[in-house]
Amino acid sequence: MASAITNPSVSIQDLSLNFGAVSVLQTLNLDVAEGEFIVLLGPSGCGKSTLLNCIAGLLDISDGRIFIKGKNVTWEEPKDRGIGMVFQSYALYPQMTVEKNLSFGLRVAGVPKDEIAKRIARAAEILQIEPLLQRKPSALSGGQRQRVAIGRALVRDVDVFLFDEPLSNLDAKLRSELRVEIKLLHRRLQNTMIYVTHDQIEAMTLADRIAVMRGGVIQQLDAPQTIYNRPVNRFVAGFLGSPAMNFLKGELEAGAVPVFKADGMSVPLGRYQFDGEGGRAAKPCIFGIRPEHIAFGDAAQAMPFTAESTVEIVDPMGSDTLVWTKLGGQIISFRVEADKTLRNGDAIRIGFDPARASLFDAQTDNRL
Amino acid sequence: MADTASRSPGAEALRRGATGPSGPKPRHMLSRRNIFLYGTLIVVALYYLLPLYVMIVTSLKGMPEIRLGNIFSPPMEITFEPWVKAWATACTGLNCDGLSRGFWNSVRITVPSVLLSIAIASVNGYALANWRFKGADTFFIILIVGAFIPYQVMIYPIVIILREIGIYGSLTGLVIVHSIFGMPILTLLFRNYFTSMPEELFRAARVDGAGFWGIYLRIMLPMSLPIFVVAIILQVTGIWNDFLFGVVYTRPDTYPMTVQLNNIVNSVQGVKEYNVNMAATILTGLVPLIVYFVSGKLFVRGIAAGAVKG
Repeated sequence: MASAITNPSVSIQDLSLNFGAVSVLQTLNLDVAEGEFIVLLGPSGCGKSTLLNCIAGLLDISDGRIFIKGKNVTWEEPKDRGIGMVFQSYALYPQMTVEKNLSFGLRVAGVPKDEIAKRIARAAEILQIEPLLQRKPSALSGGQRQRVAIGRALVRDVDVFLFDEPLSNLDAKLRSELRVEIKLLHRRLQNTMIYVTHDQIEAMTLADRIAVMRGGVIQQLDAPQTIYNRPVNRFVAGFLGSPAMNFLKGELEAGAVPVFKADGMSVPLGRYQFDGEGGRAAKPCIFGIRPEHIAFGDAAQAMPFTAESTVEIVDPMGSDTLVWTKLGGQIISFRVEADKTLRNGDAIRIGFDPARASLFDAQTDNRL
Repeated sequence: MADTASRSPGAEALRRGATGPSGPKPRHMLSRRNIFLYGTLIVVALYYLLPLYVMIVTSLKGMPEIRLGNIFSPPMEITFEPWVKAWATACTGLNCDGLSRGFWNSVRITVPSVLLSIAIASVNGYALANWRFKGADTFFIILIVGAFIPYQVMIYPIVIILREIGIYGSLTGLVIVHSIFGMPILTLLFRNYFTSMPEELFRAARVDGAGFWGIYLRIMLPMSLPIFVVAIILQVTGIWNDFLFGVVYTRPDTYPMTVQLNNIVNSVQGVKEYNVNMAATILTGLVPLIVYFVSGKLFVRGIAAGAVKG
């Protein structure tokens, strides 16, 4: 794990969480830099929300330590951790007006009235919810509710913001609008933010670094582009990207120039950047290539590797078209511009650059 | 359709949809389904309302009229004397001040029992639903088992306990007994209601720094008015209608209304005053009756809300 962060804002050390015999999080380590936007990404049940609840102090952990701003908060109450949290279901207090919702935490803490008013005014200005302050949550739309929920974290003047799938209950249009707003908010506040989602677009657009999780373990923690281009294993490769990466089963042949072979097709891997000693030994492997990295027609000619094939199925998706064809005896898909008219059965030429591919060990699923 | 002359109006009608069904399906009031449905409802309603009718008309008759034996006929001469007698002068044992004494006893029993049991049970339910403390499940199971043990088994042990504490025969003792016996069902009711509330709300309040009582009083209470109304209805009717505990744990001068009613109706000496008995019975049943009428819809809704989630 990257230990280059010298003064982490949030530091999780050897964190484990068991519910009875079920291990939800396993000796997990994570350092979040000051002002960093970290996204915890993974399928449902991977433990990402659980991890967030542990950081918030809403779940008692089984082992390990949690530091926030250099202070050991492992046994602290949520209110004493310097965190603000935004929930998927907004979790606004239904009987209180927006203003009372925002001020609840401050009133509990006994903050003076004029200070409360000042902080609410600031939060309302940042989130543009001034006209809504006297309304009840039931009179707000989903987007407005989530704005108020963010405001509730904002007024508490905390170091770390925790977001638990905040946009999952919104429709697609609002989701993309609020996504931009959260990004702007982060740029303006420069706070540390930890954001849980299962939506890869949110993860790619918002994150400074993404932690892809599965089964309570962080699979890869890196910048979005690195995770997208150089996934460390087949799970990460398949989870990110839509449409999903193509996987071809085959054999890796070692040599001066390693070659990937599958059903009569051989792809020279001279341009492929192996991880360490990956290319030295021959073994069964899986060749992954993203649909957007496969060129077609004239563009394919310029690629280091080309092949002839026929169109099997055409899926028009509006902005572009997904074409299914066969390569090395296995079904793959690739993207073409929407104005290319292809029909089933058309003979085509496709090509790609093996440098953009990902090669995985068939046994361990790890990147070669 | 067959010849061309009639085809054009037919086609026109078809285009407007005049030949086929269109719009809402017509419903006939006197369909077989309706006759069966309303017939059954009316018969059942009559079956349940007839005794009430007989009670009301009898209570408004004088004794000579009752002796004629026409129990279904309306009173020829309406008199409220039986009501007055039942309330103010009917004799039970040595006291001859009617049901009024029992009424005020019942009020003094019901009000504190209802308030005490609901206050405790709501906190119980809240703790069980939201603060998963160690042993919470065991505690809950014990409580539920308690709901299934017949009261009769515990009567004598409780008599001994109350006697040892020194409150046997007092209203305080009865209030405590009612509060304890209301606990399992009320706790279950409140627990189920609080579990059905979104957990994120509770978490948000914790992040905001509210503690056990803060969350209960400022977040949960204002949101749970319906279930409190249900609990009040359950407890008021249950405790008001109670006979067994009332007769066992109190003395004649502190008897609740139900026990006093029994003593009036079942007295073996003298003439049976049916009109007074009927009036006394209606008077005793009036409180639960009013509660049901005023809160009918809310009651059903609350029971359903409390029962759905387990």
